[in-house]
Amino acid sequence: MIAYKFLDAGRIAPFTRFQWPENEWVSADRLAPCKAGVHACRVRDLPIWIDDELWEVELGGDVVEYPRKVVASRGRLTRRIDAWTPALADEFAAMLVSHTRRRFGSIPVLSGFVVDIARFRATNRVPIAGFAAARAAELSGGPRAYEHERLRQAAWLAERLAIPA
Amino acid sequence: MRLDRELTCAQLVELVTDYLEDALSPEDVERVEEHLVFCDGCTNYLEQMRATVAASGRLRTEDVPPELQERLLTAFRDWSRA
Amino acid sequence: MQPEDRRVVEALRAGDEAAFMKLMREYGPMMLRVALMYVSTRAVAEEVVQDAWIGVFNGIGRFEARSSLKTWIFRILTNTAKTRAQREGRSIPFSSITSPDGEDGGAVDPERFLGSGERFPGHWGTPPRRWGPDERLLSAEAQGVVDAAIAKLPPAQQAVITMRDVEDLDPEDVCNALDITETNQRVLLHRARSKVRQALEEYMR
Repeated sequence: MIAYKFLDAGRIAPFTRFQWPENEWVSADRLAPCKAGVHACRVRDLPIWIDDELWEVELGGDVVEYPRKVVASRGRLTRRIDAWTPALADEFAAMLVSHTRRRFGSIPVLSGFVVDIARFRATNRVPIAGFAAARAAELSGGPRAYEHERLRQAAWLAERLAIPA
Repeated sequence: MRLDRELTCAQLVELVTDYLEDALSPEDVERVEEHLVFCDGCTNYLEQMRATVAASGRLRTEDVPPELQERLLTAFRDWSRA
Repeated sequence: MQPEDRRVVEALRAGDEAAFMKLMREYGPMMLRVALMYVSTRAVAEEVVQDAWIGVFNGIGRFEARSSLKTWIFRILTNTAKTRAQREGRSIPFSSITSPDGEDGGAVDPERFLGSGERFPGHWGTPPRRWGPDERLLSAEAQGVVDAAIAKLPPAQQAVITMRDVEDLDPEDVCNALDITETNQRVLLHRARSKVRQALEEYMR
């Protein structure tokens, strides 16, 4: 199964600090024994795990689905998604500002999120910009709206990254 | 109004020990990590907690007092001769 | 058996004094500090440590390394301490261990989080700073802050954080030593660590 993986610069897993090799199979027992396995994103999970580098990953063995990720017994980084750059991350944040402004810019409480998201963009805090846009949607339309906004963000990313949605 | 699965920072700080002890369910680990991705405050808090544990680990416990060391050595000699 | 443990065990069995002194200097401090959690005076704690070492000598011939040497020595020490505590009429070393130790506060002052009227309720209002690899954390002063914070903890929290974080003992061993469940242990550890972190944060301002 093909999936995606965001990593810190240098192919470092953000939580385990494990450094991933390129193009080499890694199995769960090579990682900290208490961890469940290789974590990866489906396209719809992309906005949740935004980080420095984006890689395509091939998963093998048993794959378990969780609400916001999949976990497999082994995985292999196959190629770096070069289209994911700081410039694209900033475009994503800019899109969130204008999208939120269009939808909620003239609504009293929610318009505050437009300012928040602009501020997050200005300080390069892209993941929280995405979260804030989804929160604004949620306050307006409930949990479904949150999910819908996240899926919209994922679709935007998939399209710009030229990965199949 | 808040998603059931969303953690606030106030909730996350109460889960930090369980997270570090690997005592959270995989679903809760995911909720914590999902939050950490966008929250610098909680990321820093977790780092501070790790630094605190490390600092405790560096505390030096004072040596066994010399008279007690002597008594223990005597006890060892008595035992190994027997 | 860990190769290092095996080496030490064989040396003790052979009556090697240098090996014993080294082992005693390695674990003795921990044994004394832990004994003091169970009994009332330093003199009695020293007796407990001495009796525990005699227990180690008597058992070393049979030691089969089902656990590490450290764990095994720790268990002998705590069993000795518990027995002695009982003789002194202190049947539970920490009466507060399973009952709430009077705390309903959270790990962090609630004032630091945003209120319910905000766009991000429950999120940090005054977020913690990143410390990074700050030299001050390694200073003697920082050690003093941590030491003082631990010394101020209620007995049960102090015992758990000392055994777990200061003396690096395993969770299971700590639970057995204190006759508490894993959950109790985590709650106590959580409260203790939260207070020590707060003290360090004030120092690092």
